[in-house]
Amino acid sequence: MFSKRYWLGLPLAAALFVAPARAQTADSAAETPDPFLNLKAFNPDVSAIVDMFYYDENSDEGMGHVAGEIAGFGHAHAAGEGEEHHHHAADKGFNLRHLELQFSGTVDPYFKATAIAAIDLDDAEMEVAEIETTGLPFGLKVKGGKFFSDFGYLNAQHSHEWDFVDQPLIYQLALGSHGLNDKGVQVSWLAPTPFYLLAGVEAFQGDNEQAFAYHGDGELPEDDGPRVGVGWLKIGPNLPGNHGLQFGAFAATGTHQEEHDGDGDGTTDHWLDGDTSFWGADAVYKYNSPQSYGQGDFALQAEYFSRKKDLDLVAHDLAPHLVGNSRIDEQDGYYVQATYGFLPRWRAGLRWEQVGLTNESELPSGETEDFGSSDRASAMIDFTPSHFSRLRLQANQGSYETAEGTEDVTEVYVQWMVSLGAHGAHNF
Amino acid sequence: MGKRLMGALTLALAFAAGAGATPLNIVATTSDIADLAKAVAGEHAVVSSICTGTEDPHYLTAKPGFIARARTADLWIAVGLELESAWELPVLNGSRNRHVQPGTDGYLDLSKSVELLDVPQGPLSRAMGDVHPGGNPHYWLDPLNGRRMAEAIAERLARLRPDLAGEFYANLAQFRNALDERMFGAKALQGAKAETLWKRHARGEEIPNLGGWAAQLAPRRGQGLVTYHKSWIYFANRFGLRVVGELEPQPGIPPTAAHLAKLVATMKAEQVDLILQEPFYSTKAAERVSAATGARVVVAANSVGGRPEATDYLALLDRIVAELSKE
Repeated sequence: MFSKRYWLGLPLAAALFVAPARAQTADSAAETPDPFLNLKAFNPDVSAIVDMFYYDENSDEGMGHVAGEIAGFGHAHAAGEGEEHHHHAADKGFNLRHLELQFSGTVDPYFKATAIAAIDLDDAEMEVAEIETTGLPFGLKVKGGKFFSDFGYLNAQHSHEWDFVDQPLIYQLALGSHGLNDKGVQVSWLAPTPFYLLAGVEAFQGDNEQAFAYHGDGELPEDDGPRVGVGWLKIGPNLPGNHGLQFGAFAATGTHQEEHDGDGDGTTDHWLDGDTSFWGADAVYKYNSPQSYGQGDFALQAEYFSRKKDLDLVAHDLAPHLVGNSRIDEQDGYYVQATYGFLPRWRAGLRWEQVGLTNESELPSGETEDFGSSDRASAMIDFTPSHFSRLRLQANQGSYETAEGTEDVTEVYVQWMVSLGAHGAHNF
Repeated sequence: MGKRLMGALTLALAFAAGAGATPLNIVATTSDIADLAKAVAGEHAVVSSICTGTEDPHYLTAKPGFIARARTADLWIAVGLELESAWELPVLNGSRNRHVQPGTDGYLDLSKSVELLDVPQGPLSRAMGDVHPGGNPHYWLDPLNGRRMAEAIAERLARLRPDLAGEFYANLAQFRNALDERMFGAKALQGAKAETLWKRHARGEEIPNLGGWAAQLAPRRGQGLVTYHKSWIYFANRFGLRVVGELEPQPGIPPTAAHLAKLVATMKAEQVDLILQEPFYSTKAAERVSAATGARVVVAANSVGGRPEATDYLALLDRIVAELSKE
């Protein structure tokens, strides 16, 4: 969405700023070219995404609690946040997603840059601050700063680009609500093939919500960065006419450290150190219908990923005899979703997802645990009045496998979002 | 045998290395531009277009295949005026092809070479719908703009390949002659220079022995028509037709019942008997208005390839003129 136009901000600002100057030299102004016109062209594009939604669900202790307790994934808390840490979840009632304030533009003949500030009600975060090259030979591009990893399909998309209000479970459980977004460097290469073939490698510092990070208290010396390496490949076969297709494969690995409060007394009592790896694949097909306003357009996308945490117990205040043993967690998940433009400006979408088809934990005690899977079905309808606004109704029906048993939860979202200003076009 | 093969290989290599051996790779955003580029570049280029002519260029997405094509392009030709803004920059940026980035010789924005209409005056707001601040981008439907586009392409090709400039300009002259003849007929061209005819026709003056599109549409001069989107103003302007309104209440916003009711009243008052629209829009609104006013609905491609008959730029205009001049 918002896939067009990044024009109006500048001319509008131009009109506002130039008007007084014009008034002073009213007679000659009509003939004289605007002296600021060229300077204005150097201003970055500025846009803001305002995104609000109404949310309701019927779980016993809140959806954040459920997500935090999904069997097999529940031990994933970044250290220092305590066992009672709840996953970032929407509040029942009104929610305002962070205000995405974006600046982007060309820096010089060599670089372009994008900066996105994510402003919440009570704090602000630097979501993206990226520089990329524009003039390297041999199909190469280097990107640096803080950015979304280009692995998979959905990771690099901002929340306003998603076809559903919420992200798929596997993303949320494996990488947290922001996906893999970190400080680092990426090198990518567009192969000289007659079809689309893009390969990339990335090195990240490793400050993720759910993996790699550690904010320790001294018991476990923090690993030096960069702590994560990612590699991915995307292939787009040439399809005739209005069809578009892309396949991707990816793998990542990084050091991973955790600390836990096993007995829940409020003090950290055991520490784990090792690494986390994940790998997976994605596929996207899009059909651009010959009708207008998106009617008849169809999109099908799916992603699978599998994660393995391989940690050693480095210290345990309560069970010192287990120290040196390892803890291995293997989990996976996928989602498949489709959207269809059933009327001009109206789309309907369905999403089906499962997590924990593989769901095993090998504990330091030598025991192994095997958990069941959780699944969720979602349906949405959205209306896009123009390129710059969208309204959406979404319902989720999930069945979640937690330590307390299976819990069925229904969620409903009503979303309203707009794009203000000059926002660049989106990728495939 | 071995020696002969070596000889052939050496010869082939020599050809491949020599200037002029490899044809230029031109990627046009639309099928109309691609056809003009083919006419001008002749055998010296491989030309392809991103839009097939059946879809609305406003609503394309930046497909991986587009990026693969832009990667090897020597020249990228665009309509400009934000017609392609939904996908053009991600494609060019994704292609990592330094030679076709905006601002380089390998990037040609044809809107800079034509006469534009509908350039908004005064403060703009998105409340006006999908307005293009630089002007209306559907300029290729004016045959005189088609002529200017071909000229701009020839100039750019000559700059990229000075060794072939003579051939490009010869091809251009041939295309211009064909276009002028379709526009005014061979007889009228015997009596006056083409440039003079274009000027006189634009002023609405009598032209002796007039044939071609100008003659076919002469009876409709001054008459009103309604279009779906604001995409026919250049065509209408060239042939002196009056666009009285659009089925869309605002550019990019689908027809509403209230707007159509108002339009019907206007059409009755101004005795408008024609509704013109592209094949990619639904004909429902047009049929409704037609039922209320008796106006004839004409569905015509506005791009090469939009309809099977619209095989090239001249055939595209042939078709539109033929449809509109029917009684």
